Amino acid sequence: MDRNKDRRILVCCGTGCLANNSYNVYLKFKERLSEDAEIEVKPIMKSTGCNGLCEKGPVVKILPDEISYFKVTVDDVGEIVEKTIKNFETVDRLLYYDTNSGKRIKSHKEASFYKGQLKIALRNIGEINPLSIEDYMERGGYKALKKALDMKPEDIIREVELSGLRGRGGAGFPTGVKWRTCSEYKDQPKYVVCNGDEGDPGAFMDRSIMEGDPNTVIEGMIICGYAIGAHRGFLYIRDEYELALKNVRAAIDNAREKGFLGKNILNSGFDFDLEIVRGGGAFVCGESSALMASIEGNVGEPRAKYIRSVERGLWDKPTVLNNVETWANIPPIIINGWKWFKSIGTEGNYGTKVFSLVGKVKNTGLVEVPMGTTLRQLVYDIGGGIINNRPFKAVQTGGPSGGCIPKEHLDIPLDFDSLKAIGSMMGSGGVIVMDDTTCMVDVARYYMNFLAEESCGKCTTCREGIRTMLHILTNITEGKGEMEDIELLKEIAETVMEASLCGLGKSAPNPVLTTLEYFKDEYIEHIADKRCASGVCKNLTSYYIDENKCIGCTICSKNCPVGAISGRLKEVHVIDEDRCIKCGTCAIKCPRGAVRIGGMKVEA
Amino acid sequence: MKLKIDGIICEGREGETLMEVAKRHGIHIPSLCYRKGFEGLARCRLCLVEVKEGSRRRIVSSCVYPIKENIEVTVTTDEIQRMRKNIIMLLLLKAPNNSYINKLAEEYKVAAPERYMNPLDDENCILCGLCVKACEKMGTNAISFVNRGIYKKVSTPYDDASKDCIGCGACAEVCPTNAILVEDNEGKRKIWNREFNMVKCSLCGSYFATEEAYKLMQEKLNDNEEPICNECRKKIAADKLKESFANIY
Amino acid sequence: MSFVYEEIIHGYPKEKRYTLAILQDIQKRNGFIPREAMEYLSQYLGLPVSNIYSIATFYKALSLKPKGKHIIKVCSGTACHIRGSGTIKEELLELLGIKPGETSEDGLFSVEVVNCLGACALAPVVVIDDKYYGNMTKDKVKSVIDQYKEERVHG
Repeated sequence: MDRNKDRRILVCCGTGCLANNSYNVYLKFKERLSEDAEIEVKPIMKSTGCNGLCEKGPVVKILPDEISYFKVTVDDVGEIVEKTIKNFETVDRLLYYDTNSGKRIKSHKEASFYKGQLKIALRNIGEINPLSIEDYMERGGYKALKKALDMKPEDIIREVELSGLRGRGGAGFPTGVKWRTCSEYKDQPKYVVCNGDEGDPGAFMDRSIMEGDPNTVIEGMIICGYAIGAHRGFLYIRDEYELALKNVRAAIDNAREKGFLGKNILNSGFDFDLEIVRGGGAFVCGESSALMASIEGNVGEPRAKYIRSVERGLWDKPTVLNNVETWANIPPIIINGWKWFKSIGTEGNYGTKVFSLVGKVKNTGLVEVPMGTTLRQLVYDIGGGIINNRPFKAVQTGGPSGGCIPKEHLDIPLDFDSLKAIGSMMGSGGVIVMDDTTCMVDVARYYMNFLAEESCGKCTTCREGIRTMLHILTNITEGKGEMEDIELLKEIAETVMEASLCGLGKSAPNPVLTTLEYFKDEYIEHIADKRCASGVCKNLTSYYIDENKCIGCTICSKNCPVGAISGRLKEVHVIDEDRCIKCGTCAIKCPRGAVRIGGMKVEA
Repeated sequence: MKLKIDGIICEGREGETLMEVAKRHGIHIPSLCYRKGFEGLARCRLCLVEVKEGSRRRIVSSCVYPIKENIEVTVTTDEIQRMRKNIIMLLLLKAPNNSYINKLAEEYKVAAPERYMNPLDDENCILCGLCVKACEKMGTNAISFVNRGIYKKVSTPYDDASKDCIGCGACAEVCPTNAILVEDNEGKRKIWNREFNMVKCSLCGSYFATEEAYKLMQEKLNDNEEPICNECRKKIAADKLKESFANIY
Repeated sequence: MSFVYEEIIHGYPKEKRYTLAILQDIQKRNGFIPREAMEYLSQYLGLPVSNIYSIATFYKALSLKPKGKHIIKVCSGTACHIRGSGTIKEELLELLGIKPGETSEDGLFSVEVVNCLGACALAPVVVIDDKYYGNMTKDKVKSVIDQYKEERVHG
């Protein structure tokens, strides 16, 4: 059975797949294969990092056959072993269903979800066992470090500078410039820091990289240490990311064993070591000066950055801080050179960006595309469009610091500058797709509520401004809004933006300002008509049945949890508004779209 | 180094903040969280000014901004005035019945939207952080910021009487809005949920410090004399001065 | 059963920068930060109690109150929010008769409303202890809670 040589079964054990029971699938494979004497060459089992298409997990890949199975359950394992492993047949029902072409696809690589993608930061994820440094090295890992140690520090910095790489964590500051400035300060010790405190709701690319390919982050950091003359680095990782912590910890140990970390790395005379610091659950610690305060053992309050951290950062020493995805880009840049990197993307925005495509979109998951890919390509080609083919309303990018982009801007290229120009932000790359059942006033309120808890509370404008904006938005969503509130919101938002101390405060009003700009109609509808057309704000929603559309199928009344719908078979149904709890179930279940949303019930 | 504030040429040293230089030259920059001798806290945001560094204009908090050679500073522009008004409005919503904030609002002609004001709200603290800083400077560290975001407040651990507190009242003294309650009554002081016994001045007989604060003062000054209150100390010093002058002439 | 926090504390060097790490370890082992542990830590590190209290109330991962046997985290990240995590949250709180941050009367469950757990593709997500439950619905909430209650009866 020579054909079984080098065959591997990769079971994805990223957080998304784990939640769908993938570990038990993995165990079942292990068990099934160990008891089967017929298979002479046993397939190798690997638990891999995230494959991206989390929603369709657990994902099982069979190599080199290039077969990908989705939504694999423990019960499917026997069939896969019988058919695919022993007889080289595919189990068609587990193949990926491509919503765009309406066909089942054998290899995930042919799926439209993966087709438009180009993987640099995610290059190894799903392909290697994150706990095995040998796996990483087999795919070229630590070659960049070897190459870098033969280069002059100055040349490494030049390489990064020329590549045009910009920080993937938010504002897009040029990485090379940061390194150069820091290298020019002679004060010692210097530090290298990795921001792994990913906190933007809706973004999980850093988590995936740390879980699926921790060595690339470490390699990037060592190279930077050598380039700027630092000997110590810290990885600040969210404590909730247990798997990421575990895998990074193991990778550090392995790297130390192989001589990539510690004293006299690869006989170069260069010393460098890394330490993990666990974040305590504070969104504000994603802000660099707050993160450093937290590493020092303080409360995570940002400071004014008139003196930048490249000069006085951690413990007031020169510090380079980059986020996880940025670090993951360093080794490929060193190996392939700046020209290669610069050939990808658009003017001023080179390389790729990882997005987490989530919300009301058919294919959700992690996506890495060249910078400049349009929003439309992302949502429709890769994402497969909106769930249930409902109308697209908006996309939220950049988390609480970003904004909501309306459909007029669907053809915007996704890069730092274009997003900023329309009032949003790249942020860490969360892309949350919203349809007509999403209320934009509620979205603004949601973010203010998030920030009310997550602001550090240090400065007046951020703390009191967010508190007041939340108060106003809550009023509007509850039907207590007045027209003058719109002006007041704007006035406060602008002051918070201009007068706050740190990046969190300065960008906090973006969700309010962008919804006010692009969805002002919805605000007016909430305030003047006391109506929430999306059916989200319960006080401003009532349901009624369109008698011209209702066919009397009784589905709505059967599904109503409180028995508020009456009507006989084949007759028009009626909703009793007094009993209705506005859960919206009837509207979802109705096959004819006969359940309509009205405004606030006017008291007689 | 030289810099210009509102057209006035000022002289400053490397490492000094803009606020320090302005104060020394008698130029007023509004602030609630700045106090001479304390490092800038950058919390209240009222001290924002416009700075022109070369051709670049930016808005900075003067209490933490380290001065640079040849910068030109404008303390109040229309834009900044508008920000200050909005900040005061936000403070008024936070502490609607505080007399100092109301005075400030009057001065800046600011009214807060009544729909968003709670007339029964008795909050006085605006979280400027001066009290925490003062307590730290005393070496006592009895109070600190607690919680975060809109729930942030200043308190002792668990809101209990703190064993570290010496009842010196430095916190209350530096508070711009008079938000810290100090009750002195018949030789007792109540502050931060703790009651202290007070020490009498051996000269005038008035209660002037808690026993704990007095003890600390003695240790610091290496002083074992009879307790004397500040007023009497001043009087003694003035008398001595008068005497020495009398001897000269 | 008294909890030995000294062991954790003494496992770290006497440096301020370990404050958060020590508190996290105590939280993990004990479910909350006892007052005496905070005071002991203050002496060990030579830091004021107010300083440690400030940190303990700033970081959301730390709790000053004991937690239930099972910790239920309801994700209210954006992806979960727009896919209806609000309804899930309400259902859960009603079922247990508590507010976010509180512990049910039987001491079995604590509910925390948390920001993005990074499993957005499975929204809405609920995590109980370390187990993820994706694509939650109102009905699923009840059956999952019942499972945990059953466990107690039989175990």
